[in-house]
Amino acid sequence: MRFKIAIFAAVTLVLQRVLGMPGMPAWLSHLILPMIWIVAASLIRKERHWPYEALLLGLAWDLLFGPVVGPGGIAWTAACLSLYGLASVVADRSPRAWAAFGAVGTVIVVLVQRLAVMPLGLASSLTFSQLAWSAILTGLWCGFVGTILALDLGKHLRAYQVRKLR
Amino acid sequence: MSRTYALRTILVWALLELLAALQVPAGGGGTVLFSWLRTLIEPVAIVAQGTVDLAVDLGLGARGLQRAMAENRETRIALETLRARQLLLQADLAALREIGDFAGPHGEFDAGALVGRCTYRDLVVGTMEVRTARSYHLAHDTPVVSADGLVGRVMRSEGRRHWLQLLTHAAAAVAVQTDDSLVHGLALGTGSNALTIAYVPRQAALERGALLVTSGGDGIYPPGIPVARVTRIRESDEPFLEVTAFSAADLHAARMVLFLPEWAPAASRGLP
Repeated sequence: MRFKIAIFAAVTLVLQRVLGMPGMPAWLSHLILPMIWIVAASLIRKERHWPYEALLLGLAWDLLFGPVVGPGGIAWTAACLSLYGLASVVADRSPRAWAAFGAVGTVIVVLVQRLAVMPLGLASSLTFSQLAWSAILTGLWCGFVGTILALDLGKHLRAYQVRKLR
Repeated sequence: MSRTYALRTILVWALLELLAALQVPAGGGGTVLFSWLRTLIEPVAIVAQGTVDLAVDLGLGARGLQRAMAENRETRIALETLRARQLLLQADLAALREIGDFAGPHGEFDAGALVGRCTYRDLVVGTMEVRTARSYHLAHDTPVVSADGLVGRVMRSEGRRHWLQLLTHAAAAVAVQTDDSLVHGLALGTGSNALTIAYVPRQAALERGALLVTSGGDGIYPPGIPVARVTRIRESDEPFLEVTAFSAADLHAARMVLFLPEWAPAASRGLP
């Protein structure tokens, strides 16, 4: 299961890379696809431990998209820890909660990453609109995934196959 | 969130930040991490350098102070030595003047006389220690004079050191007479600076202030040496006058004395 998750995470990172390729719409670069993994971990996982997965995800993010390796690990672990805390006080697990967690996680990742690179002299300008667009788009992405999971398409597919066999 | 959880988070974040700083080149060469380390270490290094410089300066200052104190001490010792030498030279000069004075009243004894320097005296006991430049063996009862008059006689002689019995010694006796040889007597020591002149007849023409000189009648001292000056004359029921005199020689201040080893009582018999 973990291997599958790792493969899917790698796929989201590759897709993230694709979203930033020349020719793609500019607004797609605001979307943070891997955010779904820490949102899912905070909303689905029962037993929680220190988020090494988020650390690996952040380092991978740095390798693919950042100027240096390190700040991504800080940002993603910070977001994961924050969402863990938020999930412990919020009982809602609906698609709306997925969207909200995704938005919150995005804000934390972006801000913490800017804070982490600030002492290194690498911080770039960040506007509120950029942050808002990222939060909205990533929230929508997480809400979409939450909706898919809530619809439980696998169960409907199995019921359809059973009906067809009759 | 437990404490371990938080510590682990902080540790991992710090390591990640340091990892990132290691990758970013700094403006002055090296990386940002090294610039951070330099920023941290530089004040410590400056303080350490300042402390070392201060310690070195203090050490040099202390050494210089110690050297200056030693030089000051040596200078003071040298100054004290010079002062002592000056005092000794003054004493030597005074002594030489006294020796020059010997040529006057005792010129007749200069041929065989020995000069000695007084090193110790006890006027209460009536003794004096005199040193000569070279070793001599002086005979017992050798007369000793100063520039002002008779001092005493030699009691013991050993190398350069000679011990005298002063004429003020309680057991000392000197045959005296006036300058005109009309009055004779015996000067007896009293243990003080005063002398008692005994055996002076009541009809003797003796006045206060008269100078008494050796008569040579005792067979020890040559005649003609000033002995004492009369200070008091008193008549009593005794057949002799009570005469008190003070020694002519200043036994308190005499530095140099003259031994008269050549004089012999036999030679004095021919003198008037």
